[in-house]
Amino acid sequence: MVEIRFHGRGGQGTVVLTILLAKAFFQAGWQVQSFPFFGVERRGAPVEAYLRLDRAKILARTNVTTPDHVVVQDQTLLANISVTRGLKPGGWVLLNCATDPEDLSIYAGQQLACVDASRIALGHRLGSRTAPIVNTAMMGAFARMFGEPPMEAIIAAIREEVPAEPERNIAAAEEAYRDVRILGRIPVS
Amino acid sequence: MKRVLEGSHAVAEAVRLARIQVISAYPITPQTHIVEILSDYCASGKMNARFLRVESEHSCLAALIGAQSTGVRTFTATSSQGLALMHELLHWASGARLPIVMAEVNRALAPGWNIWTDQSDSLAQRDTGWMQFYCEDAQEVLDTMLMAYRLAEMVNLPAMVVLDAFFLSHTYEPVDVPEQEEVDRFLPAYVPEFRLDTAHPFALSPLVAPNAYMEMRREIAAAMDEALERLDSVEEKFAGIFGRRYGAVEAVCCDDADIVLVTSGTVTSTARILLEELRAKGEKIGILKIKLFRPFPVEAIRRALAGAKKIAVVDRNFSFGATGIFAQELRAALCNVPDHPPVFGFIAGLGGRDITTEVLASIVEQTKTADAPPAESIWIGLTEAAYAFGRP
Amino acid sequence: MNREQGRAEALFMPRSFTTTESNLTGSWRYMRPRFEEKTAPCSTACPAGEDIPRIEMLTTQGAFREAWETILMENPFPAVCGRVCFHPCEGSCNRRGFDSAVAIHTMERFLADSALRNGFRSDLGKLQSWKERIAVVGAGPAGLAAASFLARLGYVVHVFESLPEPGGILRWGIPAYRLPPSALQHEIARLAGLGVEIRTDCRIDPSGLEALERDYDAVFLGCGFGKDRPLGIPGEREEGVEDGLAFLSRIRGGASPRLEGVSVVVGGGNSAVDVARTVVRLGGRAVIAYRRRRQDMPAFDEELQMALEEGIELQELLAPAGIERRDGKLAVTFRRMKISGEDADGRGRIVPDGEAKLEIEADRLFTAAGAGVAEDWHRPPQEETGLIKLSHSILVAPEGRPVRAYGGDATNDVQMVVTAVASGKQAALALDVLFREGPAAIRERLAACAVGPGPSLSMEIYTGGPRKLRTRHVVLPEEINTDYFAFEPRITQPRLLVEERSRSFSEIDLKISAGLAIREAGRCFNCGICNGCDNCYLFCPDVSIARGHEGEDRRINYDYCKGCGLCVVECPRNAMTLEGKS
Repeated sequence: MVEIRFHGRGGQGTVVLTILLAKAFFQAGWQVQSFPFFGVERRGAPVEAYLRLDRAKILARTNVTTPDHVVVQDQTLLANISVTRGLKPGGWVLLNCATDPEDLSIYAGQQLACVDASRIALGHRLGSRTAPIVNTAMMGAFARMFGEPPMEAIIAAIREEVPAEPERNIAAAEEAYRDVRILGRIPVS
Repeated sequence: MKRVLEGSHAVAEAVRLARIQVISAYPITPQTHIVEILSDYCASGKMNARFLRVESEHSCLAALIGAQSTGVRTFTATSSQGLALMHELLHWASGARLPIVMAEVNRALAPGWNIWTDQSDSLAQRDTGWMQFYCEDAQEVLDTMLMAYRLAEMVNLPAMVVLDAFFLSHTYEPVDVPEQEEVDRFLPAYVPEFRLDTAHPFALSPLVAPNAYMEMRREIAAAMDEALERLDSVEEKFAGIFGRRYGAVEAVCCDDADIVLVTSGTVTSTARILLEELRAKGEKIGILKIKLFRPFPVEAIRRALAGAKKIAVVDRNFSFGATGIFAQELRAALCNVPDHPPVFGFIAGLGGRDITTEVLASIVEQTKTADAPPAESIWIGLTEAAYAFGRP
Repeated sequence: MNREQGRAEALFMPRSFTTTESNLTGSWRYMRPRFEEKTAPCSTACPAGEDIPRIEMLTTQGAFREAWETILMENPFPAVCGRVCFHPCEGSCNRRGFDSAVAIHTMERFLADSALRNGFRSDLGKLQSWKERIAVVGAGPAGLAAASFLARLGYVVHVFESLPEPGGILRWGIPAYRLPPSALQHEIARLAGLGVEIRTDCRIDPSGLEALERDYDAVFLGCGFGKDRPLGIPGEREEGVEDGLAFLSRIRGGASPRLEGVSVVVGGGNSAVDVARTVVRLGGRAVIAYRRRRQDMPAFDEELQMALEEGIELQELLAPAGIERRDGKLAVTFRRMKISGEDADGRGRIVPDGEAKLEIEADRLFTAAGAGVAEDWHRPPQEETGLIKLSHSILVAPEGRPVRAYGGDATNDVQMVVTAVASGKQAALALDVLFREGPAAIRERLAACAVGPGPSLSMEIYTGGPRKLRTRHVVLPEEINTDYFAFEPRITQPRLLVEERSRSFSEIDLKISAGLAIREAGRCFNCGICNGCDNCYLFCPDVSIARGHEGEDRRINYDYCKGCGLCVVECPRNAMTLEGKS
């Protein structure tokens, strides 16, 4: 079973991102389970959501505390919370950032991928400059980094689920799929 | 067709498919997405139902009692404090023999204000004459909703379909949503046993003197017994159309088990992982999932536990001054069985705390190592830090 | 057991098919509800005592004719008062504390318009016939009201008017843009239907009065305030200085002079505003100069606001000091005033602001700083044998001599159209009591037909109509069950645009549709009266409210009423009362 944790801020579509990915993975033949952090929600506050993937029916009905991979939709969260908390060694971290981070020490022992999802989202006129809607771009980047789900499944999930501007969202996902920078394993210094 | 749906959404789909005619709900916390989706369905015309938004859960059930009395199929959803506020009217619904069905999202009771899962809210209503079904996953929730209407209308008793907050209500997972035409075959249009009719007037719920009250209560008791008898045929018919059945209880590897974990709700699902792990190591454990709590399936439980050596009941609830409620009921079911196995009562996961495989493993371990169960419940996972919370 | 197998018998459950009528639950009762209509605050604030909650109720039902006739019962001039009344009713509307007052005057105007458009005829005729003959001097609102009520009470009434057409201030003082002539004509025409004869161009002088006293059993004097009070300053008789009322009368008489240049209007009442707005419509510029401040002006603020929109200038705290004629123009000198302390009536007291002065050069000056009787004998005596002083009228009924009654502006504290109507009504009722029962009965009989605590009187109560069953209790806002009412904005009066209205004398306030009127009337709480909402019937747990047949009143079947009081609590408008069982 694969467990993935998603970080974002309320209003950025983090929960929607996990649902979209769950649907895309399900279409690609996976069993899926996704849920938000169980609690109260506020716009702008840090939020978490989770995705479980397996080839067999998923039986676990517990919180995700030791994820295999982590996705960070908002770089500003790094200052406040530990996005690598409980992350299993060798797991992927996908960051939304304009430039690769200078200090890689916090990712030591993990694998890193970076994508400028905010720029890509704005390029496709998704959201506003202060609040770009990056979740579909993050989906594309995730698919490339993880090797799954296939882009057809991502496109189908967006078509089914995103009511506004599905074509622009698909274009953003495709651009992020091409643009994501796979830095790979960060050595333990 | 299988779709990835939120648990709340699965309930709403069941309500749509059951062709409910009147829905009433109080839309504020601790309400869930269930009625949000249904109000959309009513507003958009996707459902041909009347949605009554009321000012409290008490009024909500009062409205449904009125509606159902006129011979229509009704639905509501609630949780914790909301259900507690309905308490008085729960009796009125069952006493008036109205087959109302509600989705009850298990949430902890306040204070401390807590919206996470906990069974105390629904179990506190065990004596109100409502049937109660505890579900394990979203598919079971959807299926049970449909079966609950069928059974409730057969025996003229109301029913609660209970699902864990968040672990079911807010979790997306694949659910097979049946076709309308199949559902219509399973659950035909509601033909009420009686209905208010100005052409043939009668007074509902009038004064009943001691010379008749007891007999009426006995009728409700008999209806509960009848429901237990009829569940199997309802499941049979359901399985014939949809290929799924669940049972009042489900016994997993109980026949040769040294220890049987008695579970309900989503804990069952997590326990299945542990069972596989421990069985692989050669440990003989089993699971008894109790789905039907009212009527309580005593015979099925006795049969399932006939070969067990020890029983460990996991209660995500607590009756103050006594023990966990499933444990109480289990002990009562077994106490007249000669040489019945000892029953260990564990309290875990109150107020939404995780019940992980580690928690369940610890329950198994403690049951294994103890010779006889203590009289009181064993509380799992209490921490000093939590005790210190909020202390001046 | 189950119906699918054919259930042998019905569910054994709490259900009863037998009637509960054998249980006379009324014997449990120790409190007793009853239908008891009360007095609405608007109706008692209305000087004419109109039955406003009933008028609004009927309007809501679309029964416009009945609503209009309900007004006529108490006030013969709905088309006039719907336009020019200062509507004190709205000031005491219980809905004010909820959202905003019901636009009662707009409803009155609407009903009068509907009556005209649909040719409604009133069924209010003579109640009986008496031999006494009564002369009315002055065909203004007080005289015409007195004539109308006296005629309905059964007297022979002749009205004597000095001018060529009846109406008094309504015809000659209020400009057409507020009260178009057609609206007035129809009101006056109705009087003829009651047998009232109006003799115009018939000036009465003191000797004429004596002649009337010989010919008639009583004379009612309603001569009004016909003349503006002089300013008492030098230069008042210069050419170009004119009495404001005389000016308005000249214009209403058909004159249409071109008034170029600046006209100064001295005063702060409605006449001052009317004069200024008339000047603007005749092509001039108008400046209102007032001794006090805007908030102290007796003019209706809404009228003043419209005047300012029309370009009229308001100069506050200016007291006229002198007028000189210079180079073909008037040089008007004012003393500047300032506020120092408060008067007894709460208005700021004004004193001269040192020696400060202001001179305004004007082409014309109109005086409109308060009016008075045109002739001394119009004024009632203060002391005389047989004098009966009432709130709005004065009777002089010496033993064995003809009766004289005074009403209108001369006997009123407030000189408004509706108080003149109230005065005419009071005098008419008082004369009726006088002729039928003698002077001693007057006060008691009038008090018995007061609306609420009075002093407004009701003709319907006087003549023994159903309204007399209402109690004097004035419904308080907290006695309304506002759970049954939703916030609803008050109707906005449609009006001519400012550009349209300042060029003509066309009526400014436009008609409203029946739909809007019904909606606005529906805002009325109908304080204290039953509008058939059936809440009592719906809430009664013992089905003991009998609704009766069409047109019948609701009643309570006390065989079954347990006295729970739910009906009283759920009555939205306090038309029911719960009392201890006697």
